[in-house]
Amino acid sequence: MRNIAREREKVKLQPPMTPMIDIIFLLLIFFLLTPTFQAHEGYLTTNLPKTSGPVAGEEQKKIERIKIGLEDTYGTDEIVIVLNDTQVLGNNFDTLEAMLRDYQDRGIAPDHPVLIAPEMSIKHKWVVKAFDAAILARFTNIHFAVPR
Amino acid sequence: MAKPVRARAGSVSFNMTPMIDIIFNLIIFFMLISQFVQLEIEDVMLPTAEAAKVMDYSQFRNVVINIVKVEPDGSKVKILGSEISSDISTGVANSELTQFLKTRTELEDRGKVNVILRADADIPYEDVARVMLCAGGAGIEGWWITTEIEEPEER
Repeated sequence: MRNIAREREKVKLQPPMTPMIDIIFLLLIFFLLTPTFQAHEGYLTTNLPKTSGPVAGEEQKKIERIKIGLEDTYGTDEIVIVLNDTQVLGNNFDTLEAMLRDYQDRGIAPDHPVLIAPEMSIKHKWVVKAFDAAILARFTNIHFAVPR
Repeated sequence: MAKPVRARAGSVSFNMTPMIDIIFNLIIFFMLISQFVQLEIEDVMLPTAEAAKVMDYSQFRNVVINIVKVEPDGSKVKILGSEISSDISTGVANSELTQFLKTRTELEDRGKVNVILRADADIPYEDVARVMLCAGGAGIEGWWITTEIEEPEER
C-alpha cells in the first residue's frame, strides 16, 4: 500500500539547498575574517606601585631617583624637559635618551627608579615619548608622578 | 519534519539540516564576538613609541580603558562602550571608575590584572593621572599604555 504511493511520488523536488549553503559559508568566512583587521598596536608596560596609594609621597623616600620633569610652554606645541631638576634639555627627546643611556654607561643599574613628573597640562603624547626614551635607555623601574 | 527519504539503490543522500543548524550557530557566535571586540576598542589617535612591543594580552586578565578626546580640550573615559566618570573630587575610593574597576576585578587575583590604556595623544596628563589613581585605588597593578609602533630612525 505504501509502496504504491511512493512509486507515484518517485520524482520529489527538494528546494534547492546548494545556493543557500554557499551563502551561509560566505557569511561565515566573512565574520571569521572581519575582526582580525586591527591597527598594529604595541604596549609600553609598567607596574603601578603596590602601596594603597600611588607614588604621591616622593618626599618620604629619600632614595635618589632620576626625575624626568616635563614642563609646559603654554602657547606652543613644545615642552621643556628638565632632568633631575637641574638640566634643561629643551624639546629634544633624543637628547633625553642619550643622557639616560649615559647614566647606564656610568654604572647606574637598570632597575634604578625613574620618575616621570609631567605638569598636569602636558599632552599624553609627550609623556609617552619620555616613557619611551626611558625604556630605550633600558631602565625597568619607571613610575609616574600623580597629583595628590 | 520531512519523511525519511528511502534511499534508492546505489545512491547515498545525507541529511543537511543539522549541518545548517551548526553553521547558523557559528555565524551568530562570530557576529556577537565581533560586536564585543568593536565595543572595547574606541577610535582613538594613539601616540607613537619606538619601544612599544606587541604583547599577547590573552595571557593576562585585562581591562581596556579608552580615553577619548572631546573637543576642544576635554576627554572622557570609556570602558566597553560606556562612559565612566573618573572624577576623584570626593576621594579616589568614591570615584565611579574605582568602584567599577573594583567590581570588575572582584573575582580575580588583582595582582594579575592589567589595565590596557588607550588614550588619545592630545589629552592632558591630568586625565591619565586620574585614571591611574583610580586603578591604583582598585588595587590593579599592571599598567599598559597602548601606542602605535614607531619605526626606529637610522642613527
